[in-house]
Amino acid sequence: MAPAGDDSQAKLEALLQERAQAAEKTVRPQRVRRECTQAKLAVFAALAIVLVVVAACASAVVPYDPYAQNLSQALQAPSLEHLSGTDRYGRDLLSRIIMGGQSSIFSTLELVAAITVVGTAVGLVAGWKGGWVDTLIMRVSDVFLAFPGLVFALAVAGVLGGGLQNAVIALAAISWPKYARIVRGLTLAQKNASYLQAARLSGCTTRQLLVRHVLPNIAGPVLVTAVLDIGTMLMELAGLSFLGLGAQPPLAEWGSMMSDNRNLLQTAPWTVVGPGIAIFITVVVFNLLGDTLRDWIDPEHRSTRTGGQGWFSRRSNRRLVGRAIAATEKGDADASASTRKEHV
Amino acid sequence: MKGIMQKRNGLSRLAVMLASAALALLVAAGLVGCGSTSSSGSAAQASGQAGKTLVYGTTGYGVQMDDAGLNPHSAYSGWSAVRYGVGETLFKFSDSMKPEPWLATGYEFTDDTHCLITLRDDVYFSSGRKMDGQAVKECLDDLIATHDRAPSDMKISQVTADGQTVAIETSEPCPALISYLCDPYGAIIDMQAGVTADRNVSGTGPYIADTVTDTEITLHKNESYWGGEPKVDTLVIRSFTDGDTLTSALQSGEVNATYGLPYASYALFQNGSYAISDCYTSRAFFGQFNYASPVGADPAVRQAVAMGIDREGFVDTLLNGRGQVGRGAFPDNLAFGGQTVTVASYDPEGARQVLEQAGWVDTDGDGIREKDGRRLTLRWLTYPGRIELPLLAESAQATLKDIGIDVQVNSSANHVDIRKDASAWDVYVSALVTAPTGDPEYFFASDTLDSSSKNFGGYHSDQLEALYQQLHTTFDTAERAALATRMQQTILDDNGYFFASFLEMGIVSQSNVTGFVAHPCDYYEITADLDIA
Repeated sequence: MAPAGDDSQAKLEALLQERAQAAEKTVRPQRVRRECTQAKLAVFAALAIVLVVVAACASAVVPYDPYAQNLSQALQAPSLEHLSGTDRYGRDLLSRIIMGGQSSIFSTLELVAAITVVGTAVGLVAGWKGGWVDTLIMRVSDVFLAFPGLVFALAVAGVLGGGLQNAVIALAAISWPKYARIVRGLTLAQKNASYLQAARLSGCTTRQLLVRHVLPNIAGPVLVTAVLDIGTMLMELAGLSFLGLGAQPPLAEWGSMMSDNRNLLQTAPWTVVGPGIAIFITVVVFNLLGDTLRDWIDPEHRSTRTGGQGWFSRRSNRRLVGRAIAATEKGDADASASTRKEHV
Repeated sequence: MKGIMQKRNGLSRLAVMLASAALALLVAAGLVGCGSTSSSGSAAQASGQAGKTLVYGTTGYGVQMDDAGLNPHSAYSGWSAVRYGVGETLFKFSDSMKPEPWLATGYEFTDDTHCLITLRDDVYFSSGRKMDGQAVKECLDDLIATHDRAPSDMKISQVTADGQTVAIETSEPCPALISYLCDPYGAIIDMQAGVTADRNVSGTGPYIADTVTDTEITLHKNESYWGGEPKVDTLVIRSFTDGDTLTSALQSGEVNATYGLPYASYALFQNGSYAISDCYTSRAFFGQFNYASPVGADPAVRQAVAMGIDREGFVDTLLNGRGQVGRGAFPDNLAFGGQTVTVASYDPEGARQVLEQAGWVDTDGDGIREKDGRRLTLRWLTYPGRIELPLLAESAQATLKDIGIDVQVNSSANHVDIRKDASAWDVYVSALVTAPTGDPEYFFASDTLDSSSKNFGGYHSDQLEALYQQLHTTFDTAERAALATRMQQTILDDNGYFFASFLEMGIVSQSNVTGFVAHPCDYYEITADLDIA
């Protein structure tokens, strides 16, 4: 274990060194970039907060009742009176899009919160306990991960029946293992760290060790993963609704709005474009927020990024986040080896 | 260092060039691919056979419609046999839904239970056999022996043949016998040729099927057709389960003509490149209340619902005007149609008063009425198979909420199982051809009586039962129409049923397609007159 760990550690260090050298060539100093990251984080966080607040206050800010039908106003193109036009029932689309944000965004946040909490708890138990508990939990998660995600969600939603709540349950059922595996790997990396041994020697109980020491040290990657997942989950939830397995009429929800109006795509495109843009903006905002949050949380990653590198390097950096944090924060070779073993 | 930088710049220029070349190649391949797809997918190349070929896309054929195959003695497959020009019946309906001779030349009721039918002398099956009395007798005998609906409709006890004459004896008077013989299950096929494993039959129509699957039928013209040589050589009937896909298929030229386009798509084809033929049918979108549920059994709620549905708005806006507002059980083009009955119009204020007087009051201010601590919730069961039904449900949901009724829609493909559980729904909304034979008896017999198989809500009326017995034994057409009107008025006065609209059948085709005309009975489509330039 140790030689392999040292070897990998050396490779990792070499890799990080190479990236640090590359970083030297960048035009902008690191400090400027750090400030830039903070500014970006503030902007994206503000945008995300605006989205959430508008969704939370939807019923107060909508210009019209999103559920009131007025057939004489059906399929009106966007105008000053109806900024996003109206649907086939004469309902104001802007009002429905805003109200749809409430169901779409809050259902997604509820879903991500649920899978994060459950996945973290399960992964923490598996990583900390080890042995047959770990094996059992990991094999169960393997079963869930063995199926294509959305296909499995479709099957679960089909069994549970239509409804936004059932769609959330279906997606939660297939999404928690990812978090369980991430947290398990991070917990294994922390489990034998010196600081934990010190804490243990100082008389901390298991609960205190987990809550006061392990959780704060693994929270960063989990939080980044959760924020990055908001966009993905929002799209999957909208996808289920689009297929008729999520929100049911007349509930305003972006996916079901697109589905209801899809046969108007050629004759009244605004009925589909509006909710589509809403999904696009929300997904982009939360993805950028997650991306920036990762940059902000991960100093190692930030220092190795180069201005000229694009998507490919960012992807590879993302893969390194877990390993880099474990290897650099505490410098524990065994922990690094354990992390690598679990993540590769 | 500089050399290395120059080398890197050179490499990156090379990479850019390579990437550009690859992109250009991809675009070119994509364009070529699009071209070939378009070409291979076109209707003109749908068949490798020479001559005129027409591809007909329809949402009306397939397993889910219960009409896959061409055997008229199986479920609703007779509709496919008649629709696609393979089978013909002894009599057919005129545009005003009156029976007229087709394979027969005339009929005569010798008494209440005996009917003598004379046949054309110039008709041959595609198998080559002549259609005579014996062939018709064999076909009707098999129909009565094997079909699920025909025996109880026609009540035939015996068929005898003599040359080009057929004598039919019924077990009890059956005034609507000739109308029932117009039903597609009455399509005359050669029973000696039989039914093949792929459900193909030998009929008398202008086209002969080559291959029959659950999704497609390929036919060629019957050159010895008694009604004149068909003009199209090869015909492909292609099933579509999604209206939007069908729309795209017509736009791309993959099909030449369509049946079942979504209402929203009609606007795309209202130009010189396409032709639209439409007419009203007796396919009703209607609801029946569940008398086993407390809400459905409450006459005030039923009346309020009948008054609280905006039928005109539904037809004019949600169906793009492509339908007929429903009043009674039958469309206005029939003698006993909706114009003959009195029905409450859309009156939200009146509906509110009815509910108020019955004790349904909104006590908690949430917009929904309550009575004896029970919230006024109406569980609306329907299904998405007919695109009009979910639209009607969502429209009614809004208008009924306006009068204080909370409508919970359950639009499920599993509606058949759900409706068996009387505790699971309050109103069942479905689509049904109420006068498939142009006669009113079918609807009342199947949907409104104690003995009806489709009286899912358990509606009962002594008056209706008595009127039906009169209708069942009345031969005079005018008297039957009057009885049908009284029977409709009975179920409407009880508010046991409400009728929202009737389907306007539409055939949309390319402008070079001629002879494709919609018919009120919804099952005359392909004829020998069909042509494509």
